[in-house]
Amino acid sequence: MTPPSAAAETTTRPPLIPPSQHPYAEVIHRLEAGGSMLPDTPENLMQIIGIYKAYAVPMDFYWRDLLYIAERVFLDPLPAFKYFPTQEYLDLPNSYAGDDSKLRIWRGQATAHPELLEFMAKGETRPMSKLLHHLWHDRINMEFAEACMEAMLWHQGMGGRFYDYLETDVYKANADRAIKAYFKGNPLMLGLHALFPEMFLEQVRKMSYYANLGLFWEVMAPVFFEMSDIYDEGGFKGVPDAMDFLVNGIFAVAGRPIYHHVYIGEEMFEIIPKSEGFTWLYEAALPYVEAVFYRTAPFRGTKSYNAQAGQVPEVQADFHYGILYADVFPVGSAGIPPTLLMQDMLHFLPPYLTELYDQHKRGEADILIQLGVTFQRSMYNVTSAVIQALRCALLYPLDDTDPEHLMANRKFFEAQMDRFIRPEARLPQIQTQDYR
Amino acid sequence: MAPLVLPLLVALPLLAGVLLPLLPENRPVLVRSLAALAPGLQLVLALLCWWYPPADLHLAWLPKLGLSFDLGLDGLSLPLVVLSGLLTALAILASPADQLRPRLYFPLMLATNLGVVGAFLARNALLFVLAFELVLIPTTLLVAIWGGERRAGAAIRYLIYGAVSGLSLLAGVLALGWFNANGFSFAYDDLMRAEITPRASAVILGLLLLGFGLKLPVVPLHGWQPLTYAEAPTPVVMLLGGAVAKLGAYGLLRFGVGFLPDTWMAWSPWIAAAGAVSAVYGALNAIAQSDMRRLMAYSSLGHMGLLVLALAAATPMSLQGAVAQVLAHGLIVALLFATVGLIERRTGTTAIPELSGLLNPYRGLPFTLGMLLLALMAAAGIPGLAGFPAELLVFEGSWTAFPRATLICLVASGFTAVYAVRLFNRVGFGRLDNERADWQSTTWQERLPAMVLTVLVVVGGLWPTSLVGWSESSTAALALRAQQIPPSPAQTFLASATLTFPLEVPVS
Repeated sequence: MTPPSAAAETTTRPPLIPPSQHPYAEVIHRLEAGGSMLPDTPENLMQIIGIYKAYAVPMDFYWRDLLYIAERVFLDPLPAFKYFPTQEYLDLPNSYAGDDSKLRIWRGQATAHPELLEFMAKGETRPMSKLLHHLWHDRINMEFAEACMEAMLWHQGMGGRFYDYLETDVYKANADRAIKAYFKGNPLMLGLHALFPEMFLEQVRKMSYYANLGLFWEVMAPVFFEMSDIYDEGGFKGVPDAMDFLVNGIFAVAGRPIYHHVYIGEEMFEIIPKSEGFTWLYEAALPYVEAVFYRTAPFRGTKSYNAQAGQVPEVQADFHYGILYADVFPVGSAGIPPTLLMQDMLHFLPPYLTELYDQHKRGEADILIQLGVTFQRSMYNVTSAVIQALRCALLYPLDDTDPEHLMANRKFFEAQMDRFIRPEARLPQIQTQDYR
Repeated sequence: MAPLVLPLLVALPLLAGVLLPLLPENRPVLVRSLAALAPGLQLVLALLCWWYPPADLHLAWLPKLGLSFDLGLDGLSLPLVVLSGLLTALAILASPADQLRPRLYFPLMLATNLGVVGAFLARNALLFVLAFELVLIPTTLLVAIWGGERRAGAAIRYLIYGAVSGLSLLAGVLALGWFNANGFSFAYDDLMRAEITPRASAVILGLLLLGFGLKLPVVPLHGWQPLTYAEAPTPVVMLLGGAVAKLGAYGLLRFGVGFLPDTWMAWSPWIAAAGAVSAVYGALNAIAQSDMRRLMAYSSLGHMGLLVLALAAATPMSLQGAVAQVLAHGLIVALLFATVGLIERRTGTTAIPELSGLLNPYRGLPFTLGMLLLALMAAAGIPGLAGFPAELLVFEGSWTAFPRATLICLVASGFTAVYAVRLFNRVGFGRLDNERADWQSTTWQERLPAMVLTVLVVVGGLWPTSLVGWSESSTAALALRAQQIPPSPAQTFLASATLTFPLEVPVS
């Protein structure tokens, strides 16, 4: 497959196929030229890189805690301290950062990011115990990460073999072994498990998705950190460069194993062993993008949706409450609670983004909204990377000279853009800079 | 209290109005500040009059015409002077800092205040008419020059209705003086003892009802109100709805109930019916409106219906309720328009279908919407806010005299909650359109008038004496019907029982 960066030359050649008649023809032509759905402007580049950095720091906490919950908290019936990962998990070396990593994406350290540790110690208030920070809600909002995980669990059926595997006898047997080991010496819970064998099994499935998302974000955090460092060094020349970095990163780690291990006492239980061959791209990245960027679910609490009046699609695949459609205003918004993530990112904004936000709209007073819109822009860029990666994997190079191949690419891009024709999509808005 | 206090109350806006045009045109903030100072001092002075009642002032002016410069304050006029001073100051402060043509705009606001306060202070009916007529000129100019797109039509309609009101009032007052068997006079003290034939009384009351009914207004004399309220600048509407319209209520109480009690009693069932019709008509029309200003206009019309019912009942409690309603409604309607003005200044519209999600904490106007919510709750008569004690007194005071009309007004009051909830639901909740929400938050300076009114609306609800304490004895003196409180079943039972208490001391 030809990397998308090589497609830049195609822009200078005479077109081999007629222009697209799609409502988003301009965007499609940009994608065909190796670009992103997000227009290539210096401000867009600054916004998305800045927000990647602000996103990566809490993400460094998300993936560590997700793995901690999946592997250690597991079936704790009262998981009051599940948002307090142990030092072992904060020191857990990221597989794609640090000196010992086999594939080093970020040049930084493998343990938790220093800015994250500083925030965990001090928060927005002042240094105090973890519990007080938690109760004061001066912390990273793990609820956001859990909402993403639940979206992946709930939507299922988004390609890959992962969910189907959770219904197999092998998985059930592995889970059953872990359940019995976890509740060993606890006749009440074992009795419940005997009476309702599906109950804890369903919880284990959920834990497997915790692990899935944790392993997915373990990759994305160093990718975003590295992008931020490259930008700070003046490395990216435009939005397509940033997208190409993502595409290359996707291919580099596509085969990373997705598994679920549980540690009970001194013993490790392989609920989903690495040998099953689940890979990062197909079992984590693509379902994540589908579930979180596109679908999610109506966010309870801010807006009432009347399913009987047809306000909620009958088919889950038609759900459109993800960040690509979300109204980032806290009132009347939908999808995964964007306010939680916005709050998390606010702590780690680079100074150049803070300055930018100060110059527009209400400045500091509505900074959460502005950074939410930036996040939306950045996720359109990530989605563009995924679309280009899919095109690379399934179809033809952008510089292919066969018109039939180019038309197949065109159909693919048009089919992807069809998902943004509905009025809730923010694709038209992000084409201009005044959407903030 | 110094004898100059009463003339000073009218001289303050007059002096300021004359001096303001001499200030530089390019200093609108200075002009606004000085303009607000005059009614502010007037307010302080009027409040001092509560503790140090001033002596009445009598100056002969045109004795042959019966016109004299008689000024005085009593329990009816004092709270209205206070209200007028307060609302004028706040309306001036609610005007934009970069007000267009400030050297004309603010003097006209002060001229309106001069007329209103002059009318309330007047102790001579002809002087009252002069002051009443004076109000029409500046308010018409304010609508015509600074109003919305349809300001010309609104100003002409307002002028025509106002002129008819003034002429009718003039005719009524002249007849009042001429047909007095005790001698030709327009002094209030003489008119209180006037002896007028029933037929003449009927004609005079008809003229007065037309004159004051147009000013209040009441159905079917309200034709000017929705358009004027929709087109006039919001600070002007604060003044029109909060203070100027109260001239009608004051006139009905002073002239109708006070000077023509027998005829008033005879006509009161019809007046009560008109009040009930106004209340229902105003509330139902308010529900149907798609513009906030017009909604407020019809809401105001409905509340004036309650006021008319209370005046018709003329019991001590209903008249107390009428005065309380005048004060409470003055504050509430001013607050409603102050908040609507803020919303319009930021969003550029008052059309309900074009607004939504304004409660959004980041890009909306949550503080302003909070005050609007409180004003709507007060208008709906929610306990703890100024509208509640006023409406309670009106309903309780009118029940014995006109139970059916009171019941209808109660239902109409329920409709108030309907349009209040409907308006707030549409404007406050829902999705705020990011493409349109490109405005800055309101500043504390802009919010100040609405905040003052909000505090007063809450104080009026928690401390109802601030609404009724001014005029308890004055309204009791004017009452035409005794308050007949129907006994409760328990009272009936106790009255019929022949119980004797061993410790009861016989009264000698």
